[in-house]
Amino acid sequence: MNCATRRDIDITSTSPKRKRRVLLAALICLAIPCANLSAANPIDFDREIAPLVAAKCLKCHGAAGPEAGLSLTSREAAFKILASGHAAIVPSNPEASELLRRVAASDPDVKMPPSGPALSAAEIALLRRWIMDGATWPEHWVYRPLVRPMIPNTSSAEEKSAIDRFIDLGLQQHRLNSAPEADRQTLYRRLSVDLHGLLPLPADVAAFVADSAPDAYETLVDRLLSDPRYGERQARHWMDLVHYAETHGHDQDRPRENAWPYRDYLIQAFNEDLPYGRFVEQQVAGDVLEPDHPWALVATGFLAAGPWDESSLRDIREDTLDRQIARYLDRDDIITTVMSTFTSTTVHCARCHDHKFDPIAQDDYYALQAVFAGTDKGQRTYDPDPQTAKRRLELAQQLAALPGRVSNRDAALLDAELQTRVAQWTVQLASAVKRWQPVDVQTVAAKQGSTLTRMDDGSYVSGGSRPETDIYECTASTELASITGWQLEVLSDPQLPMKGPGRQDNGNLHLNEVAVFLIDPAQPDAPRKLDIVSAEADFNQDGWTISHAIDGNAGSAWGIYPRVGETHRAVFRLKDRVPLPPGAQLRFELHQVHGRGHLIGRWRVQVTDDETPQLTAEEKLPSEVRAALIKTPADRTADDCLRLAAAFLEQQSKADLAKLPALQRVYTGSNRFEPDGGFRPTPQPRPIHVLKRGDVTQPLAQAQPGTLAMLAGLPSRFDPALTDDGPRRAALARWLTDPANGLTWRSIANRIWQQHFGRGLVDTPSDFGHLGSSPSHPELLDWMACEIRDRDRGLKSMHRLIVTSRTYRQQSQHREDAAAVDADNRWLWRMVRTRLDAETIRDSMLKLSESLDDRMGGPSVRQFIQTPGIHVTPNVDYANFDVDAPAFSRRSVYRFLFRTIPDPFMDAMDCPDASQLTPKRNESLTALQALATLNDKLLVRRASQLAERVMSKHDPVERQMIDVCQRLLLRDPRPDELTSFVNYVQQHGLGNFVRVLMNSNEFVFVD
Amino acid sequence: MNSYEPEAFATRSSRCGTGSASVLQTEKSALNREERYWQSQWHTARLGRRAWLAQLGGGFGALAAAQLLAEEAAPSGQNLHGGLHHPAKAKRVIQLFMNGGVSQMDTFDYKPELIKRHGENVDIGVTAAATSAPGSMMKSPFEWKQHGECGRWVTNVFPHMAGQVDRMAFLMAMASKTNVHGPGSYMQNTGFVLPGFPCVGAWISYGLGKLSDELPAFVVLPDHRGLPYNNTGNFSSGFLPAAHAGMTVRPNAPVPIAHIRAPEFAKQITSQSERASLDLLAKLNEKHLHDHPGDSRLDARMASYELAARLQLSAPAVLDLTQETAATQAAYGLDDDITAPFGRNCLIARRLIERGTRFVQVWSGMGGPSKNWDNHTDIPNELPFIAKQVDKPIAGILQDLAERGLLEDTLVIWTTEFGRMPFTQGATGRDHNGGSFVTWLAGAGIRGGVSHGSSDEFGYQAVEGKTWCYDLHATLLHLLGIDHTRLTFRHNGIDRRLTDVHGHVIPEILA
Repeated sequence: MNCATRRDIDITSTSPKRKRRVLLAALICLAIPCANLSAANPIDFDREIAPLVAAKCLKCHGAAGPEAGLSLTSREAAFKILASGHAAIVPSNPEASELLRRVAASDPDVKMPPSGPALSAAEIALLRRWIMDGATWPEHWVYRPLVRPMIPNTSSAEEKSAIDRFIDLGLQQHRLNSAPEADRQTLYRRLSVDLHGLLPLPADVAAFVADSAPDAYETLVDRLLSDPRYGERQARHWMDLVHYAETHGHDQDRPRENAWPYRDYLIQAFNEDLPYGRFVEQQVAGDVLEPDHPWALVATGFLAAGPWDESSLRDIREDTLDRQIARYLDRDDIITTVMSTFTSTTVHCARCHDHKFDPIAQDDYYALQAVFAGTDKGQRTYDPDPQTAKRRLELAQQLAALPGRVSNRDAALLDAELQTRVAQWTVQLASAVKRWQPVDVQTVAAKQGSTLTRMDDGSYVSGGSRPETDIYECTASTELASITGWQLEVLSDPQLPMKGPGRQDNGNLHLNEVAVFLIDPAQPDAPRKLDIVSAEADFNQDGWTISHAIDGNAGSAWGIYPRVGETHRAVFRLKDRVPLPPGAQLRFELHQVHGRGHLIGRWRVQVTDDETPQLTAEEKLPSEVRAALIKTPADRTADDCLRLAAAFLEQQSKADLAKLPALQRVYTGSNRFEPDGGFRPTPQPRPIHVLKRGDVTQPLAQAQPGTLAMLAGLPSRFDPALTDDGPRRAALARWLTDPANGLTWRSIANRIWQQHFGRGLVDTPSDFGHLGSSPSHPELLDWMACEIRDRDRGLKSMHRLIVTSRTYRQQSQHREDAAAVDADNRWLWRMVRTRLDAETIRDSMLKLSESLDDRMGGPSVRQFIQTPGIHVTPNVDYANFDVDAPAFSRRSVYRFLFRTIPDPFMDAMDCPDASQLTPKRNESLTALQALATLNDKLLVRRASQLAERVMSKHDPVERQMIDVCQRLLLRDPRPDELTSFVNYVQQHGLGNFVRVLMNSNEFVFVD
Repeated sequence: MNSYEPEAFATRSSRCGTGSASVLQTEKSALNREERYWQSQWHTARLGRRAWLAQLGGGFGALAAAQLLAEEAAPSGQNLHGGLHHPAKAKRVIQLFMNGGVSQMDTFDYKPELIKRHGENVDIGVTAAATSAPGSMMKSPFEWKQHGECGRWVTNVFPHMAGQVDRMAFLMAMASKTNVHGPGSYMQNTGFVLPGFPCVGAWISYGLGKLSDELPAFVVLPDHRGLPYNNTGNFSSGFLPAAHAGMTVRPNAPVPIAHIRAPEFAKQITSQSERASLDLLAKLNEKHLHDHPGDSRLDARMASYELAARLQLSAPAVLDLTQETAATQAAYGLDDDITAPFGRNCLIARRLIERGTRFVQVWSGMGGPSKNWDNHTDIPNELPFIAKQVDKPIAGILQDLAERGLLEDTLVIWTTEFGRMPFTQGATGRDHNGGSFVTWLAGAGIRGGVSHGSSDEFGYQAVEGKTWCYDLHATLLHLLGIDHTRLTFRHNGIDRRLTDVHGHVIPEILA
C-alpha cells in the first residue's frame, strides 16, 4: 500500500505542464483563507497549523517509525525532549523550538523539509506566533468527544435557522455576504434534482411559483421528502458509497441474481426514515440483532456489496497460498467498506504496518479482521414472513435431530403407532424398488485405458492412471423380454477423490453423451441404436444437466458438482418399448470427453420394462434405507426399523417444508449462506493472525476480535468468548453506533451536507484522519452530528433543515468581489452549481417524455442482452439491446449493475463501476462524454419521444418549440432565440431540437 | 501516410488539428471546411478558458480545475521529450498483452535440465498448483534454436519473432504475487491484485496528458473474440477521472467506438442537421456562458464538444487500413485469416501512435478456458494455435516501426499475467505459475539483445534478477520521463502510486 504523503503531489502531478503548475499554485493560494484575516484572532490549530504540519512534515514525522524519533501527530510526541537534547516545540519559546530553527534554516543539512518547497515566510511567522502564544495543540478534531456546540448569536436581525447562523459566522469572519434567494423556478429545479434525482415538470413548477402561501417552500420540501422518489435517490448515493453492484467482479464476473433485495432495503429504509443508528446496525449485524425482522437480515447485503474473487475463493484448490491470500483480501474489502462508510477512517492503511499518521495500530486492523473471520459473501435464504421462518426452523431442527435419534436408538422411533405408519409407507415404496433389473455384463472396455474392475454389487470401478478423457463400453444381456428404459448409477466410493463418484480431483464427472445399441443375434454385425427420448437425473450441476448427455453435442455434458461424495442416478427413457429377441445383447456407451479427467469413477447399469421409467422419491433414499426397504418386514432388524422410521419422518418433514412459501434469497455477508460448490460457510470464525508486512507467510500473534483503540471511553477489544460470526459483528455494530463514537455521527452529517453542497464540510468524506481535510465549519458539523445522534430519527429531518436554510436557497451566481476573497466558495457566499449525473439525465428524459415507468423494487432490469460466455462471465451487449424495451423505462437505480462491463453511457458520465468505494463521484468533462450525451441511443430515442408527445398536443411549430423549451429549460424562448429556434425546427425537426437543448449547459447544469 | 515524417507530426501536434486533413484524404474538401470551423471555435474556446483561469475567478477547487485541464492536449510540441520529472526517451508505448499466462518454458526460457529430466517426478516443493496436483516434468514439445547475434533461445512456435530478438531486451525472471487469472491480470495492469485501481495507460494519460487533440491518450484493442479476464476492469481509470480510462476500439464491430456516431435508427440526424445542431448548441452555450460568468466548467464543457467532433473525424481515419500498402498489410499478416485479426489491431496500434495516442494496448486472447494462452490441457496443440496468431504480426510491427523510425521513440512491451509450471497437468497441459515468466521490451531507450534475470533449472521460480510488475512499470514510466515514486493520486486517504510502495527501474535493459 502506498503511503507516500506529499499533499502537494496531488496537484503538481495532476497538472504536469509547467504553465499549469503556476496557474494552479495561484488558484490554491487563493483557496486557502488568507492569514491576515484572522490576525486579530487566536490561531486556530485545526485550520491553520494542522494542515501545514500535515503537508510539510508528516511524510517523515508521522506516527509510525518517525525520523529522528520525532512524531508530529500528537501534542505529547511533538513537545518531548528528543535524543538530540532538543525539543521540536517548546511552548511560548520560539527561540528554543528546534522546529522553527530547522524550517527557517538555509543550510541544506539542517533545513526542513529536506526536499520539496520550503515554508514561506508567512508560514514560518504563523508557526512562530503560534508557539509564542503557547502552542495550543488540541487532540485531532475527530477524536474529540462529540459535544453539542452552542448555536452562535450572529448580528443578523432576522430569525435564522441554526445552520444559517453557523454559516453566517464564517461569512462574517471573512467579510463576505451571502447571496440573495434564488427565484422559484431555480429553487424547484434544484430541490427536485437534489432530493429526487429528477427534473421537474413545468406544470408543477408553475403551481409552486403561483403558490402565495407563506410556507409554500416548506410545503414543497415536505412533499418531496415524503415522495418515494426520495428513497430511490438516497439509495443510489449509498450504493456509490458502498460499491454495490450485482456481479462478482474479477475474472469470473458472475451475476448475483439475488443482490437486489439489499437495494430495495435501502430504498425502503430511506423512505421510512429509519433512525440512522439502526440503519448502521442492521447493515453490519441486522441478522443477529433483529432476528425476527427479515428486512434486517437483507440489510447485511451491505457486507457483500463489493467484489468477490470467485476463482481464488471457490475454484482453485483449498490448499493453495492464493486461497489464503484471497481470504485476507476479501475481509479487507469488508473492513474497508464498514470503516470508510461509517467512520470515515482509513483503517485499511494499517494492514502492513501501524497507520503512519493516525492512531490506528496494525493490531487494531487485525482485530477487525478477526471480527469478520467467519464472514463470507454468499447467497442466504430468508423468509419474509417471521411465522414461516419459525415453522421452518422447527422442521429443520426435527430433521437435524434424526441421525442422532437413530444412533441413540431413540425408543420413540420404535413406537408402535409410528411403526404402523412406517409400515404403510414402506409398502408403497417397496413396489417401486424392484422395477430396475441388473444386467448380466459380458464385456466392459475403456477406450483410453482406464482399468475397470468389477465389484460385488455388479458395479465397475475405474482405476489406473487417469486419462484426460475416456469412453466406457459394456455389452450385457437381461432376462426381460422387452425394455423401456435404462438407468445409470454413478456410485460414491471411498477410494475416489472426494469419495467420487467422479475421478476428477473435486469428485466430479462429465458425461458428454450416452448411447445404447441392440445387438440382435440374427444380425450380430449390425447393432441398432435405440432412440432415447428423455433423461432425468436425481441431481444436475448448475448448467450441466442430464439432457446434455442425450443432445448429440459432445461439447456439453452432465455433471454432479458440488454434490460429490454421494451416489447419483440418471434414467434414460427409450422412444418405444423395445422387444428383445432371445440371445439379444445391449451395448451401452458412456462418452466422457470433456477433458481434465472428468471421468466416472464407479458405475452400474440397470434396465426396466416399466411403462414409465422414471426416478422416484424412494430412489433418492440413502442406500442403507433402501436395503432395509427391500427386505420383508419379518427380515428387518431393529436397526432397519429405526432407519425406516427416521426416513419416514424425514420425508414427512421435508413434505411439510415443501408446503411452506418459497424461501427468498439475498446476497449477504455471514456464515449462514448456501454452499456454492466447494465454497462453504466456516462453522467457526477462522483464526486470524497479525501479518508481518501484510504477508500471509509471516503470521505473528493471533488477533482478538475488536476495533479501533483511538476513542476514549470505548473498549477496543471484544469479549474473546464471542466465538461465532454473528455476535462478533453485533459487537462491532454496537461500537459503531455508541453515542460516544463521534466518528460515526460526524461522518454521516458530513455526507448529507456533501449531497446538497457538492462538497462536505470536510472535503475528504471518507478520511477524517490527519491527512484528510479539516472541517471548514467544525461547530456546524458537530451540531448536525448531535442532531442526528440525539434525536434518534431518520435523516429526513436533517435534509429538511439543510434545504430550508437560507444558505441552501441562495443564488449560485458568481460575484467578483466575493470570489476575490474566497474563490473556492468554502464559506458558502453562494450556492454551488452542479452537473446532472448520469442517472438524473436518463431518468429525467424519461419523465419529461412522459415514458417513465415508476414501479418500485424487484429484480433488477437488464438493459443489455445477456448470452452465455465462454466461461463464467456472460457476454453482455449494450449496443444491440432494444431501445424500446420496457427495461429502459425503469429508473436507473433499478438497472442491473455489471461490475466489469459497465454501461458505456453511465461510465462516460462518471457513474462509478463499483470496484472501489466512491464517497464522491468525479465530475469530469470529456470528449467521450460529449459524444455519449449526443449519441447515446436511449437519449436520442427519448428526445424523439418527447418531440412526438409535444407534437401530438400542439400544431403550430412555434407552439411545439415553446413547449419543448418549457419542459427542458423551464422557460420560454427569449425574443432573440425565437427565429433561430423556429428555423431550426422547421429544417431539422423537433426531435433534433430536443436533442440540442438536452446537450446544452443550461440543461446539464443545475443553478 | 505511408512514411513517417517527424516534422509533420510535431507540427500537427503543436497546431490545432491541421494534420487531420492529410489523414482524411477521401473527403478532403468537405473536411477542410469543417476543420477550419473547428479550428477557429477551438481557438476561441481555449483562449477564453485560459484567460479566465488567469483571472482566477470562479468557485471550485484547484483539483476540479486540474481535472478539466487533464483533458487538454499538451500546449506545444516543445515538451514532447521533456517528460514530467526528467527527459523522456519514449514518447509512447505499445503494449502487447498475451492473456492467459504464456508458458515460458515452451517459448523463451530454455532449460536443458528440464529436457534431461523429462518424465521424472521431481519434488520442487509444489504440493498443489492452482487447479491440479503436480504431474511429472515435461520438456517442451517444440524445437529450441538460438537466434540473432545475441543467441537468444526461442522455440519454433515463434519463427517470426525469433528474427527480431536482437531488438528485444528480455526480463527472464518476472514474478507475480498470484497464480490466478483475475488478480494476476489486475496486477500486471494496475499493480494491485484487487479491482478498482487505475491501469498503466490511465496513469500515463493522467501524468502526461495527450499528445494530440485528435485522439485520446490511451486506447485499447481487445482480442477480436472478446474481452480479457476482468473485462474492462483491466483498462479502467479506477479512481482517476474518467478522462483517463482506455478508449476501447473494436475495429470489426458495427460501431467500433461507443457513441462515435448517432445510432442507426436516428434517421433524422444527418450530417447537415448535425452541423446545424452543433451551431445552435454553441450559440446557446455562448449565451449561457455570458450570463453565468466565473465557472470554467461551462467553458470546458463547450470545448469538450469541439474535441468530440475532432475525434469523430480522426477515429474512422485511423481505422481505414486501405491507406496502407499491400506490402505493409502483408507484413502484419493481414493476408492470412489466422494472423489477420491480431495483425489488424497491431497495424491500427501503429496508426494510433503515429497520430498522437500515448499508450496503446493490444490484447491476444479473451477470458475463459480457451482461445487464449491458458493452455491447461494440451500444450503441443493449444500453444501453437494461439502463438501463430500473433507471431507474424508482432514481428511485423517491430520491423515496420523500425523502418519508419518510430521505434526510436516508441516503446514496445510484450507481456502476460504469469507463467506456467514445468510439470504436466493431465497428460500434456501446464498449470498456472506466478513464480517465473518472461516479458520483453523493445524500442525507445531499450538495449536490444540483452536479457536480465533467470529462473531456476526448471523455470519454476525466478532466482536471479527477479523483477515484478512494479519494476516493469517503474522502468516504463522512467522511459516516459516520469519518476514512479512521484506520480501519485490521493484516494481514500492514501497517496496511490502505480507501483504501490515498490518498484525499481531496471538499468540492465536500458540503452
